[in-house]
Amino acid sequence: MPRPVKRALPLFALCAAVLALGACGSSNNDSGAGATVDNGAGGQRGGTLTLLTSQDIQSLDPGITYGSLDLNLLSSAVRTLYAYAPDNPTDIQPDLAASPPQVSPDGKTLTVRIRSGVRFGPPVNREVTSRDVKYAIERGFNPNVANPYASTYYGDVVGAARATGGPIAGIKTPDDQTIVFELTRPTASLLAQATVLPLSAPVPPEYAKPFDAKSPSTYGNHLVSSGPYMIPADRDGDVLGNGYVPGRSLRLVRNPNWSAATDDRPAYLNEVDFRIGGSTTVSGRQVLAGDGLVLGDSPTPPLVKKAYQTARDQIFFSPGAGSRYAALNTAIPPFDDANLRKAVAAALDREQMRRIRGGKIVGDIASHFLYPGVLGFEEAGGLEGTGVDFLANPEGDRALAERYMRAAGYADGRYTGDETLQVVGLAGAPDSNDAQILDQTLQDLGFKTQLKLVDVSVMYGRFCGVPRARVHVCPNLGWIRDFADPQTVLNPAFNGEFIFPENNPNWPQLNDPAINRAMARAELTVGDQARADAWGAIDRQVTATGAAIPWLYDRQPNVFSADVRCVPELWNQGHCDLAYTSLK
Amino acid sequence: MAAYVLRRVLWGLVLLVLVSLLTFVVFYVLPSADPAQLRAGRNASPATLAQIRENLGLDRPMTAQYWTFLSQLAFHANLGYSYFSQASVGSLLVDRLPATISLTLGAIVIWVLVAVPLGVVAATRRGTWVDKLTTGGALLGISAPVYWLGLVALYLFADDIGIWPLFPGAGSYVPFTDDPWQWFTSLILPWIVLASTFTAVYARLLRGNMIEVLSEDYVRTARAKGLSERRVVWRHGLRAAVTPLVTLAGLDIGLLLGGAVLTEAVFGIPGIGQLNYQAIVHADYPLIQGTVLLAACFVIVANIFVDVAYAYLDPRVRTS
Repeated sequence: MPRPVKRALPLFALCAAVLALGACGSSNNDSGAGATVDNGAGGQRGGTLTLLTSQDIQSLDPGITYGSLDLNLLSSAVRTLYAYAPDNPTDIQPDLAASPPQVSPDGKTLTVRIRSGVRFGPPVNREVTSRDVKYAIERGFNPNVANPYASTYYGDVVGAARATGGPIAGIKTPDDQTIVFELTRPTASLLAQATVLPLSAPVPPEYAKPFDAKSPSTYGNHLVSSGPYMIPADRDGDVLGNGYVPGRSLRLVRNPNWSAATDDRPAYLNEVDFRIGGSTTVSGRQVLAGDGLVLGDSPTPPLVKKAYQTARDQIFFSPGAGSRYAALNTAIPPFDDANLRKAVAAALDREQMRRIRGGKIVGDIASHFLYPGVLGFEEAGGLEGTGVDFLANPEGDRALAERYMRAAGYADGRYTGDETLQVVGLAGAPDSNDAQILDQTLQDLGFKTQLKLVDVSVMYGRFCGVPRARVHVCPNLGWIRDFADPQTVLNPAFNGEFIFPENNPNWPQLNDPAINRAMARAELTVGDQARADAWGAIDRQVTATGAAIPWLYDRQPNVFSADVRCVPELWNQGHCDLAYTSLK
Repeated sequence: MAAYVLRRVLWGLVLLVLVSLLTFVVFYVLPSADPAQLRAGRNASPATLAQIRENLGLDRPMTAQYWTFLSQLAFHANLGYSYFSQASVGSLLVDRLPATISLTLGAIVIWVLVAVPLGVVAATRRGTWVDKLTTGGALLGISAPVYWLGLVALYLFADDIGIWPLFPGAGSYVPFTDDPWQWFTSLILPWIVLASTFTAVYARLLRGNMIEVLSEDYVRTARAKGLSERRVVWRHGLRAAVTPLVTLAGLDIGLLLGGAVLTEAVFGIPGIGQLNYQAIVHADYPLIQGTVLLAACFVIVANIFVDVAYAYLDPRVRTS
């Protein structure tokens, strides 16, 4: 899923304070200074963890949930077929499933065995069966649920193309413990990975159907747990006003029907309290000074500095938190010219853009689009890059930029065209600072620009995600994967088939027939290594077009109290995994 | 008087309709964000986006959407449902109102109890160090942004992050019915912070008004009749000088009851202001409409009360 992340971004930055961190960088390959990766083993049982967040949960419905904090919450309350261990964001592990996924040799059938003995929490209380998973996925196609990724990842299931919430012929449940997906194309490997998303979390049809009949569905406010924790509810399962008060608080308590024997997660904590609302500035300080607290938001840069300098064990920089890049609109002049795009990329000082955000500690300089933790990252060149000359120098190469300008027909190495480029970036430091750096780079190359700095939802909703807005450059874009498969990073972002009139994810509007064909072939590739190879090659191709300029592989800082043994979810921006975290 | 109040109430209803229409135009016709896109995320296909729009009723014509909203409100007292939590807007407002009322009323008490004596003393001791201190302090109070003041107050006095841990920190608010003592102590710092700007403004205004009133002929007459200075100042002078402040207070109270966003945000108080802010961030239009209408309601009602109080305080208004 793309930027913005669902965590509140800092509203300001003290650049001097942030820059001071630049000298305290870590090596490129470790997880950053501060607390380290943890698998949670040997934690202490008991206690209550309090999570402070300024932003409310967007949805409790596993059929709708898509934000990182929501995923953090739901990953402890429901069980998907497969999941990531907190310290391994690449290899899926059985969760509700009893064993690894079985993909048929032709890649068109996926068979999953489901554990026995997993029970729903109150008020359903019975054992989970394969039919509950079947219903969970089918309801994603119900217009009252309208799951955002169901058609993308489950669209190849036989019958899914016409699904509207009723039974899907290609999802079969021969017995209570087996679910079989029959596909129209050999995409079973991708589907297996996609089951880490909450849509595959079981939903009891006899309980949920009345809620799903409403438009929109109200099942989220009647969520039934299948994991170690649940949200307290009344007799009818209504969590509103019980365990969840919108915009104020949410409680997770132990699911009385959860059995440790059926789950690899230790679930040390007795309770997790979400305190919603308030200021990130204040909450961050409370977390550092207090007990039993974690911060659900992105910490402000001054807080990152304070934690790094005075409480290094209380901050974790999560690698693989996504990538940042700038998109150049390839559909309209002047950036329909590849040489001009490469000139901008060559001239851009990506090191300065990183420095303004805090230096090495906030991430590695990006040189292509697959990022650490995503399959295909190494195959595309890893941190060394793909080898293109216009991204070889992170601090920019003015001479090379001018060569590309001359190749585009501008003999003096500076643009002499008439149009004024529309540049739309994010308001608020440090994003606005990064936008201004790119804007200045364009001006140094002779472009006339008009820079607009707007709110994140406006940037995507009215400008960068809307082709008819004719924005030339969007500096503050980024992408977070849905799961480790590289298709989730490259396909929507650079495939010509994904250019939509609104909510367009292919921001540079790249529509290269050769790349589109390569993606179509790679979609059907079976096996993790084969897919890594195929998509790694595509990443190289995309990078070579210069349609977008990658500049940072994010490391997301996470802050917690001294008595919290936070086990970061590397697959989810380093949020403390509530089912593995404990109190010291 | 009854006819006057009735006329004001009816006019208030007309104003509320206009406010709802304006809010609708701003957020529906000229939106800054699309709630369907926010809900869907970047990966959603156009078909999924269209489905979500239909779920939320956003695919219907603007006039139909507005009419649905207005008719539900007028005939069923229904403000609709939050796009995100599906909780009823009415229930969310009712849930948040006590916190905002607590915050507002406490701040009012403080700023009245402090501003009135300060203003009177500054006026009666013009040019002295008391006057200079009051004026300077008022300038500071007016200049200091509430958010900054709140942060400073927490960094100095909060029991979790403060240098001198005297008061409960941010997020410690509980309803009065849960724990009256904690309710009270958790609001002390927010009350002081919220009251500070108003205290400064009101003290300054009252000082100016008092100076003018104390030079009026009828005040000189009162003194000449042998009334004590205390009686002249507090009974005759203050009554006239405070009248314009009553109007201002009505407006301010009405606005604050609509939500003191910054104070609520800094101190983590779950009031209307925070609710409104969250609604705007999520482009949760029914909730935005609900909070805006509530704020407008408070301003209108407060103004009606102020007008009635003004008539009581100033006999000339009654006879006109």
